[in-house]
Amino acid sequence: MDDHPPLQKIAISGPTLASLIQRFSTSPSSLHGLLFGHVTLLTPLNLSDDPSTTSSATTTSDESTSSATLVATVTGFMASPSPTSTFYDSTGTVTPTSISHLLHNHHNHNNHHLIGWFSARRKTPLRPSMREFSVTQSLSSLSAFSSQIQNSPNPNSTSSSSSSFSSSTFSPCIFILLSSPFSNDHIHTHEYRAYQLRASSSFEPKLIDIVNIGPAFRGHYGSFSPNAPFPALECDLGMSSMNEEREGNAAGKEDERLSVMREKAKDQRELDGCAEGFEVGRLRRMMGSEARSYTSNLEDLYEKMLAKVENLTRLVEQSNAKVLEQEHYNRKLRQKIRAAASE
Amino acid sequence: MAVSAADNVPPFIAAQLTHLLSHFRLTLKVEQMWSADKYNSGPFDRFTLLIPFCLDFIKWDVIYNAECPTVAPDVIFGPEDEDFHPFHMPSDDGTQATSCLSDWNYGDPTRLLSLVQFLRDQYVLYQRKRVGEVDDDRLKFEISTILSREGIEMHMSSGAEKPEEVKFAVPLLDMNINKMVPSCPWRYPQKIHLQVVYPVGRKYMSAPSAPRLKLVSSSELKALFSIDDVKLPPWLDGMCLAEYLPNLEEYLEKQVSEAVLSIDLRRQFIEALAIQLGRPVEADPVFCRKATFLSATGVFTFLIHFLIPTQFPKQQPTIMLQSSQHFNSQMAPLKSRPLVDYPWSPRWEPLLMADRVYEFLADEALNFKRQCSEGTLQ
Repeated sequence: MDDHPPLQKIAISGPTLASLIQRFSTSPSSLHGLLFGHVTLLTPLNLSDDPSTTSSATTTSDESTSSATLVATVTGFMASPSPTSTFYDSTGTVTPTSISHLLHNHHNHNNHHLIGWFSARRKTPLRPSMREFSVTQSLSSLSAFSSQIQNSPNPNSTSSSSSSFSSSTFSPCIFILLSSPFSNDHIHTHEYRAYQLRASSSFEPKLIDIVNIGPAFRGHYGSFSPNAPFPALECDLGMSSMNEEREGNAAGKEDERLSVMREKAKDQRELDGCAEGFEVGRLRRMMGSEARSYTSNLEDLYEKMLAKVENLTRLVEQSNAKVLEQEHYNRKLRQKIRAAASE
Repeated sequence: MAVSAADNVPPFIAAQLTHLLSHFRLTLKVEQMWSADKYNSGPFDRFTLLIPFCLDFIKWDVIYNAECPTVAPDVIFGPEDEDFHPFHMPSDDGTQATSCLSDWNYGDPTRLLSLVQFLRDQYVLYQRKRVGEVDDDRLKFEISTILSREGIEMHMSSGAEKPEEVKFAVPLLDMNINKMVPSCPWRYPQKIHLQVVYPVGRKYMSAPSAPRLKLVSSSELKALFSIDDVKLPPWLDGMCLAEYLPNLEEYLEKQVSEAVLSIDLRRQFIEALAIQLGRPVEADPVFCRKATFLSATGVFTFLIHFLIPTQFPKQQPTIMLQSSQHFNSQMAPLKSRPLVDYPWSPRWEPLLMADRVYEFLADEALNFKRQCSEGTLQ
């Protein structure tokens, strides 16, 4: 098995980490699940205004790939629904079928690949356990779930110093461990650490970089990619009105109007998926030669998109409460059965 | 330590843990047990095991899940052992490894014991491999010469602030001490180990220095023989362990045999005392370290406690008098101070020893009676 290329750091967005910690703190016992994201090769810019360093800049331009850093970004996670249905068995072996079973509803789009897993257990030391090592090793050996490293150099390129990144795939070898200390006081402390499994069969702790919106966020602008892209809508720049005038046949005009209306209804449905109450026709007016009051329309669109997100979160909150209630009820049932069985 | 269900421990865990503690060939201890939730109100499904290894303890955390009894437990090893992966050791044959954890039957109380046994055996091999990798010629030589001895455990300590050291625990004396003592009450065979600590990693030292040596014995042995009294033979310059051990073992064997013989000496002394003082109220029949007699002077009745050391007759017994008629403020009977300054010679015959002790006691008893009535004793 060839060596996994070393990561420089693991980036995780603030909301993702917060949501992971929240999921753990509301769970009655241990938790584990899969981590999704992508791995990117970042090449830093070596440009400098200082002329005295231009000579060194030119010599290092050939070696720019060697100072490139590999960064993994965690964009989401999926916790195993209950401790009994795990994707690994008692010996810590992971089978491709168990992973596929968990992922079968999961949309594996551009930037949301399986890059590792996490384990959360309260009041235990913050270091990987016997089984966690087995699971990570087993998971990282499943090459079927490897993902492409983005911006990786072409393997046929002439740069000789890219030997450390000879493979442009990344197998899921990231492990995030969450724990809490032993103290019994009324302060909630959450500890977490991220590791990468190297082929030398050892866990290497990695720096976690929390990405929040703010002045430091600008660096990520270059590698930003949306998780929920805007739907692709058919764009007919100002032709529809001309089409209506061209047709003279009344029956043909009816058919045209019907298909146009059907098209418009479909587009409206797609737009309603990411904005709340924004009429599709307004989009047309934002583009082309007839575009006017572009800024206010765009602001309105964003406002409606935010309103949609807010409604969605409210729905999620309500359904979460219902799921939690059901889980609680199931736990009580299990305890009753176990108590009855042990008598 | 028996784990009862009243302790809020789920029955399947309690069964496996109790079986482990009572059947493991070494004495294991449970340091603490706790539950998965923050306030320890749930079932206690996690515990820390203290496992003896190389004359010290290793601490492992065993994590069960009370919500899912069918899942096998997980183990977290110590902070220095991040490279210890018992199921991925290169010299393994995979069959033995997987059988410990696969098809985990939570209703079988023996499963935890076989798991801990396997893990400990793997740990011994792991430490041995680590010690073997140390780049020290003298250490390599030592290892090669004593590897043939069974039961040696090695440990390499590599703390950040501590200097690197390699510790050997060498079991000494093949003899079965338990058999040598008639009607021996010991449950487990008593063993003596030699702890050898080599400093490593200091290449600039020209001559190899002597390692630190210490004798360690199992705790029950001190009733018969105290290893603190043993003076270790000196480690001469340029010696190696293979040379040192036979001398030490010969010396120890003599000491142990002498200690066993001295049981008889003590027994004779107690029997001689019985002639003067009557049958003892209480006496230790196996090791003859203690005897208590009831006596009276006039109407004052008192008890005489004899505490006989392992170095008898070179070292004289400690005598303590206890009144049966005077009590202190806590309602405990008044006792004298330990008396060791009475006339004594190790060369006397037991009967003569008993006579002299009797004469001494005749006077001392009156002293004691006076002290009790005056209230000068605590």
